[in-house]
Amino acid sequence: MSEFLRAYLTVAVFAGAAGLLVALMLGAGWLIRPSRPTAQKSIAYESGVDPVGPGFGQSQVRYYIFALLFVLFDVEAVFIFPWALRLESYGLFGLVEMGIFIVILALGLVYAWRKGVLRWV
Amino acid sequence: MTPAVIAQIEPIATPEIEWFAVSPLLVLVGGALVLLTAAALARSRPPRGFYALFTVVTAALAVACSALLWQRVTDPGRGPFTAIGGAITIDGFSVFFAVTITAAIALGALLADDYLRREGLDGPELYVLMLLSGTGGVVMAMANDLIVVFLGLETLSIALYVMAGLHLRRLESQESAIKYFVLGSFSSAFLLYGIALVYGATGSTNFGAIAGFLSGNVLASNGLLLAGFALLLVGLGFKVAAVPFHVWTPDVYQGAPTPVTAFMASASKAAGFAALLRVFVSTFDVYRLDWRPLMWGLAVLSLLVGSFLAVVQSDVKRMLAYSSISHAGFILVGAEAASDRGIAGALFYLLAYTFMVVGSFGVATLVGGRGDADHGLSAYRGLSRRRPLLALAFTVLLLAQAGVPLTSGFLAKFYVIGAAVEADSYALALIAMLSAVVAAFVYLRITVAMYMGDETEGAEAVTRPAVRVPPGAALALGVAVAFTIVVGILPSPVVDFARDAVPVLLSAP
Amino acid sequence: MAAQNLVFAVLAVVAVLAALRVVTTRNVVHAALYLVAVLGSVGALYVLLAAEFLAAVQVLIYIGAIVVLFLFGIMLTRPTLGRESGLDNDQRWLAGITGLFLFGVLSYVLVEAFGDERLPRLEGLDREALTAERGTGAVGDAIFSTYLVPFEVVSVLLLAALVGAIVLARRE
Repeated sequence: MSEFLRAYLTVAVFAGAAGLLVALMLGAGWLIRPSRPTAQKSIAYESGVDPVGPGFGQSQVRYYIFALLFVLFDVEAVFIFPWALRLESYGLFGLVEMGIFIVILALGLVYAWRKGVLRWV
Repeated sequence: MTPAVIAQIEPIATPEIEWFAVSPLLVLVGGALVLLTAAALARSRPPRGFYALFTVVTAALAVACSALLWQRVTDPGRGPFTAIGGAITIDGFSVFFAVTITAAIALGALLADDYLRREGLDGPELYVLMLLSGTGGVVMAMANDLIVVFLGLETLSIALYVMAGLHLRRLESQESAIKYFVLGSFSSAFLLYGIALVYGATGSTNFGAIAGFLSGNVLASNGLLLAGFALLLVGLGFKVAAVPFHVWTPDVYQGAPTPVTAFMASASKAAGFAALLRVFVSTFDVYRLDWRPLMWGLAVLSLLVGSFLAVVQSDVKRMLAYSSISHAGFILVGAEAASDRGIAGALFYLLAYTFMVVGSFGVATLVGGRGDADHGLSAYRGLSRRRPLLALAFTVLLLAQAGVPLTSGFLAKFYVIGAAVEADSYALALIAMLSAVVAAFVYLRITVAMYMGDETEGAEAVTRPAVRVPPGAALALGVAVAFTIVVGILPSPVVDFARDAVPVLLSAP
Repeated sequence: MAAQNLVFAVLAVVAVLAALRVVTTRNVVHAALYLVAVLGSVGALYVLLAAEFLAAVQVLIYIGAIVVLFLFGIMLTRPTLGRESGLDNDQRWLAGITGLFLFGVLSYVLVEAFGDERLPRLEGLDREALTAERGTGAVGDAIFSTYLVPFEVVSVLLLAALVGAIVLARRE
């Protein structure tokens, strides 16, 4: 195995350990706990308050726009990482180009702000 | 920072930015940004028609920049060039499409002005999206790299998906947006896979490098390349609405707000053909024996399906949608010829078609009335009495689409069919002429409805709301009709423009 | 090399099985979660090719943002969650045949073209060389030289998407 992939072996080991840990804890709980189900116990737990309605509620379109904005700025961020890594090599040229890139999207954000979609009502 | 670290920093060779070369793009994007920001920050509503006027001025500025670029690329001492690291090509072809698409933006904005107020949708958004969409189209035309083509196409398309669904209260508008979006994303995926396969086969996405590789190497197995051709053709065929990738066209053209349909039918088709011509006819020239049969099939199917199905429609927007499919077939006839003459014919056709189709959908915008719903053939009955000038303008545009002499449409059909004959595609030329005859029936049907048949239903004609002709739309229609007739009579400037706009293959410096 | 191939095989099987479940499961939330498995496996394949930046982007964008968007969309449009009927339509067999045909053709041309090639041998290369060749810095160098135009066009594309999203989601 190459040196490069050996470094990722650590990731695999950790992932395996995490999975094992969860399985152990849940498995141990399953083995030890007594099982006496009642109707009261199987209702959803809402911090001690009696739950209202079913466990699932349809979400509002407002959340969707936040999710969409998140995707857009996530994509923007992806382009910033490589630039930040070799900032000095690109110098002023890189700064100007990245500036154009960010300003175009920032103006979009200004529009979103003025349209009131960023307000949490 | 220690000196040792500083020593490691090596500046990369950054490409030179020729701002002038991309000036039409900068104007379009800049216009969109200014409009968006100003409209968002303004405290009061601007005067009526400000957004449309701003868009038209932006478009005019972009045309002016294109004119300066045209001077440079046609100057024998300087000629076409690649810019910004070889990612874009500035040649007559890019300038030609910059002008065509920008004209579609200006005409579309003029049509949209009154429409938006009539439908209670007034705001800067449509104009911003139109400018951004047009930017994407011009990027596609200027592209010298498959990745640039893809991004241009996505910019064009995403703005168009939203524009199609802009009329939020009309169910048809939302339906057309979702249909266009789902099918459009699907076709983009095909295009992207095609780009990947061509990259795998040739080792580059740059047109100059691909063409150089293809002419310099004989591939032992070219399955990868041919599959790439097929997938690229699916993606671009969808954009230009060529059969069998046309199924979205009637529904989307019918459901989208009519000024958006006008823009979609002109700018999006022009941009799609810009990419198609540059990628296939110019870049894959060496492999013409492989892609010409594919293009032949697309052309024949588009011609026949477009003209025959247009006949059986009862909705004028759907008729125009099918006729735009058959127009795509005609332009493909020019592309199939795979010659400079064929490209010049296709370019002439596209420019003439842009004005004809924007004008035709412009009339539909006005006749459609409040609610944008009155698009049945019956709405046009007796239009010649209610609005004689409007009926006359529509008649001219329809006759031009049919290819009647003394209009730009006749010469457009003449040039592409001439190019097909020159390239020995006699069968294709014959099918094109046959389908022109069939399609003429559709245009005549609308014309006849406008000039006859209102006596029997006088009562209905009275109850029909009067067709309003606002000044912006009147200007757009006037320009479209004038262009159609003037070019039909005096074609030589446009013919020269199209002839000098044949794409040039340039490698990155 | 053997270990690399073994890991590839496991990831490929996971990706394909999860992808099949995405389209066969009757619960749309499960479909979205299976999609996470598909995208995660593909991200891990990128690591095998030493394209670490791409792998990170895969996790960040696809799993972190796009699947979340899918889940939001599901929660927005469904009155209840659970098994659903009517997710398939009558054309599914036709679509399946078309898909298989396309898969066959593309597999054929890919095997024909690249059948003799193997996963890149990473043993000989040390980490520094690999990072210089395929790392994040190399991606940045490409963005700021050859692919500068695509990079700037992306911002215009994102702006169009941003304006479009707000236009479509606005309240009347």
